[in-house]
Amino acid sequence: MIADLTETIVKILFIFSINVGFYAPILGWVERKQSALMQDRVGANRANIFNFKIIGLFHPIADAVKVLTKEDFIPEGADKFFHTLAPFLSLTPAIVTFAVIPFGGAYELWGHPVKLVIADLNVGMLFIFAFASLSTYGVVLGGWSSNNNWSLLGGLRASAQMLSYEVAMGLTLIGVFMVYGSLRLTDIGMIQENFFRWGIFMQPLGFVLFFTCAIAENKRAPFDQPEAESELVAGYFTEYSSMKFVMFWMGEFLEIVTISGIVTTLFFGAWHLPFVTDQMLVSFFAGAGPNGAALLAMLVNVVVFFAKVSFFIWLMMTIRWTLPRFRYDQVMRLGWKMLLPLALINIFITGIVLLV
Amino acid sequence: MTDNKAFQAWVGTLPADKLKPKKVRKNIELSLWERVYLIEVLRGLAITSRHFFGNLVGFVVPPKGKKRKIPTVYYPEEKAVMPPAYRGRPTLVANADGTERCVACGLCEKICPAFAISIVGDERQDGSRYPGSYTLDLSRCVFCGYCEEVCPKEAIVMSEEYEGLCTTRRGDMLYTKEQLLKPVDQLQKRIDYVRRIYAKCNY
Repeated sequence: MIADLTETIVKILFIFSINVGFYAPILGWVERKQSALMQDRVGANRANIFNFKIIGLFHPIADAVKVLTKEDFIPEGADKFFHTLAPFLSLTPAIVTFAVIPFGGAYELWGHPVKLVIADLNVGMLFIFAFASLSTYGVVLGGWSSNNNWSLLGGLRASAQMLSYEVAMGLTLIGVFMVYGSLRLTDIGMIQENFFRWGIFMQPLGFVLFFTCAIAENKRAPFDQPEAESELVAGYFTEYSSMKFVMFWMGEFLEIVTISGIVTTLFFGAWHLPFVTDQMLVSFFAGAGPNGAALLAMLVNVVVFFAKVSFFIWLMMTIRWTLPRFRYDQVMRLGWKMLLPLALINIFITGIVLLV
Repeated sequence: MTDNKAFQAWVGTLPADKLKPKKVRKNIELSLWERVYLIEVLRGLAITSRHFFGNLVGFVVPPKGKKRKIPTVYYPEEKAVMPPAYRGRPTLVANADGTERCVACGLCEKICPAFAISIVGDERQDGSRYPGSYTLDLSRCVFCGYCEEVCPKEAIVMSEEYEGLCTTRRGDMLYTKEQLLKPVDQLQKRIDYVRRIYAKCNY
């Protein structure tokens, strides 16, 4: 009992610190610097402490100080309660969804079985979908309660877009579930121990569809219709300032991390290196004793998993700074007329292949 | 561009071949290949990634000087080298012995569209004229360069100075003759440029 509790708390603290403590602030820096490098610019490099600049890494700290000391403004005529609730509804799902994503295999430490996932739900993917849909409410409420035309339009666009792409996303993943025969993400991870059973080989079309839908769910360019700064100022968070604005912002970044985690888990072998199973890792580190070997294997798992996640974050950032924004009718046409039929075709083909 | 001969050569080659209109693709109907979009996306990603990884070299410690790929000037630490055509703060040209070339003819005062220049002429013992006081109100100056164009003695030219020109008091912007004077060898590049560029116009 105590061991279970300790294990869970350690895992929660680990994931929370790596998501909120590392990825959320560092991604703001990554976004600036990466876009700068891609466009032959220098990027933010002026924040310094005692003239030490370390390639602009102090900017997240400067940003944090700035947003914490800013005035928290609620516009006149806005619904105070929902205006305050919206950023929480947008940030919480992004943090919570990471609970079911496994970041390592199952090991035994001091006679106690340890699975490197916070909540090993047998309906893992459904859980993710449920919470991904919840984040729509944050956006819509934020747009509606701000008493601002830009915000309202942004919220409307967000609701339509996120609902449309959720359909295609769900149908895409049905193909994945058909192949793996499980909704439990740890099971899916375990199956991918075999390099040739990685999702990208089983479901190449599914990967492309899922990645597109995931970016659209994330509301980032080229699908950033809800914020569309050239049309709607800042879309649904036009009227937000201070820490509430940052919560939307963090929610967006943590969604990137979550999506990268899901993509890694479903299509790119989860925590596995190609051709290396967990058993091989444990036997490779056998010199460190049974517990030491398990710990080192866990460490390798975690590093591999987050390296893959970082790669997909990089990919999403690159896509965000490469492609122009779609027009609204193009977004809808892509969602309903192209991705949805393709997802259905994907299911059909997968079914035929599985039968034959 | 600071090299005068190279600059002249560049100006000479400019109009004939550089001003030719480029070929523009007029049909806006996309081909099937482009409408699939995924391949075009990958092509775009390849271009941006190439820039990304190219610039990643020397990202942590950027190489000094011209070896750097990113053309941004790190301003307070580095200064941009201005081409001779740049019109900065107007300066009076001082001869090698420190006396001004200006003869207080008043042409620059007359042509100045912003009424920034005011001259009080004076005469030396030997009968040669010089400006007793020469005041340039930099808060009115529009940096048009008419004064150097009209000057018959090459006595006023635009320098490359662009820093430290703004103050919070208007009185500080009234530049006196002593503040405006600059030795001729510092301004030779601009004088050469002025000679060449206005000589073309055949007044």
